[in-house]
Amino acid sequence: METPRSFANGPIPARAGVGLRFAHHREVIETRPQVAWFEVHSENYMGGGPTPAILEQVRDHYQMSMHGVGLSLGSADRLSEPHLARIRALIERFEPGLVSEHLSWSVVDGVYLADLLPLPMTEEALDVVCRNVDHAQQALRRRLLIENPSSYLRYRHSTIPEWEFLTAVADRTGCAILCDVNNIYVSASNHGWCASDYLAALPAHLIGEIHLAGHSVREVEGGRTIRVDDHGSRVSPPVWSLYAEAVDRFGRVPTLIEWDTDIPALHELLAQARSADEILDRRPDDRPRAIAA
Amino acid sequence: MTAPAPSLLEVQRALLACVAGDGCGAPLSQMIDDVDPAACLAIYRNTSLSTLTTALSLTYPAVRKLVGEKFFEGAARVFIREQRATSAWLDEYGRQFGAFLATFSPACSLPYLPNVAELEWSVSRALHAPEAPGIDLDRMARLSPSESERLCLVAHPALSLIRGDFPADTIWHVVLQDEAGLGSIQLEQGPVFLLIERHDSNVRVQRLSEPAWRFTAALCAGTPLAAALQQHSDAAADLLIGEHLAAGRFIDFELCQNSNASH
Repeated sequence: METPRSFANGPIPARAGVGLRFAHHREVIETRPQVAWFEVHSENYMGGGPTPAILEQVRDHYQMSMHGVGLSLGSADRLSEPHLARIRALIERFEPGLVSEHLSWSVVDGVYLADLLPLPMTEEALDVVCRNVDHAQQALRRRLLIENPSSYLRYRHSTIPEWEFLTAVADRTGCAILCDVNNIYVSASNHGWCASDYLAALPAHLIGEIHLAGHSVREVEGGRTIRVDDHGSRVSPPVWSLYAEAVDRFGRVPTLIEWDTDIPALHELLAQARSADEILDRRPDDRPRAIAA
Repeated sequence: MTAPAPSLLEVQRALLACVAGDGCGAPLSQMIDDVDPAACLAIYRNTSLSTLTTALSLTYPAVRKLVGEKFFEGAARVFIREQRATSAWLDEYGRQFGAFLATFSPACSLPYLPNVAELEWSVSRALHAPEAPGIDLDRMARLSPSESERLCLVAHPALSLIRGDFPADTIWHVVLQDEAGLGSIQLEQGPVFLLIERHDSNVRVQRLSEPAWRFTAALCAGTPLAAALQQHSDAAADLLIGEHLAAGRFIDFELCQNSNASH
């Protein structure tokens, strides 16, 4: 019989962490780099075998959060019970400090579209998301953090600003908010919103985590540009500025560096985390963060 | 008169047709508040396709090396249109890729490709299958003689058995680990009978004799152990069953209704 593992417990610290990807597993286990915490994509560690076993070795030494990309909280369909069961098994196995998902949808008529698709911001969609978040929080027995999406289109029939929609989900379900600063910048640029106003409209006391990542700029017909949230480069200077505004407004919050395509050497990720820590350190620790999952 | 706003389900079905099919039609474009809806939608189509292609290339690295990256991406694009993912756990996606390659005419000059794909699917399954408890041998030993006649074994979820016309195991190994050995592969050596399993966190692929494979396959298909031992006396089955149990290849047993059943 395997003995139960005893992990480092307690909340995720209000420091910078990095997203753990397969390419860095070995180096992390062998060198145990200085970083406050790791976040993993839940879907990468489902099932059994060597991959989740490696994650246990990492978890022995680091705080960890779990970030899902596949629950599809915005689906008009009901949530997938097998998928919820797999996330629940991960939570039981790894005891993550935070569990998060997205304000988006990926599944319709039983087909998984493998992307985070935007919701129309309507009263109907708000009811659906709240129903699904309630169900997920009950099934997982955890408070979820819901992340604001990046998006490349808006629907004509949307009636609610995205920041109000997200706040209403938190108010109605008791979930917390994962504020992705890069997503705010990307969506604001694509849709002509004011990123600072978006930040200012979010309820500071419900922000449990911040995400930072790189994005790219694509030119489309007519000379127009679209910013694409591809997590394939360093955090851009305007996103760092917006992050400083976020820290100023929300206080010290656990902050994650995400990098998912063209994954760099681990030291480059850790350098980005140090940059985030420098901004966090400028903010006096005046308010304990206690977004319990 | 303005049309009523589409429901959430209507929006999601319109995007499904656009992202997963051919139909980014006018009704969807009219829902989108942008001068160039096609450019916005193309980003979602590309991300979806590239995520699923990456999932296939992680499961089928040897197939990818055998056909080259460009060909692989083209085949994946056709496959993805035919077989959409149904779960966000993408390790489960792509089981039918080998069967697809068998009918994909541009790949017909590589007749061993479906066998290699089938092996890679089994390897992926062995890597990702859930953990399973060990079989309760004490409970098995306490069965009465009449219960023993009806004992059917339950295979470990990581275990697969494959029969291939081509030496898929050798091709797989050489392509991924030992390209110098490519010239020595004998495609005409006759069928191979493979057992794929997880062993100490690693995947193990081994060849069985044809009788041993048939006996094991009968057990995996739910033939009662007593009947399988009788039917496969050529397989040194008494020894083999001990080896299977010691290796943890069966995790449980049930009592079948009919001791002669072979289902």
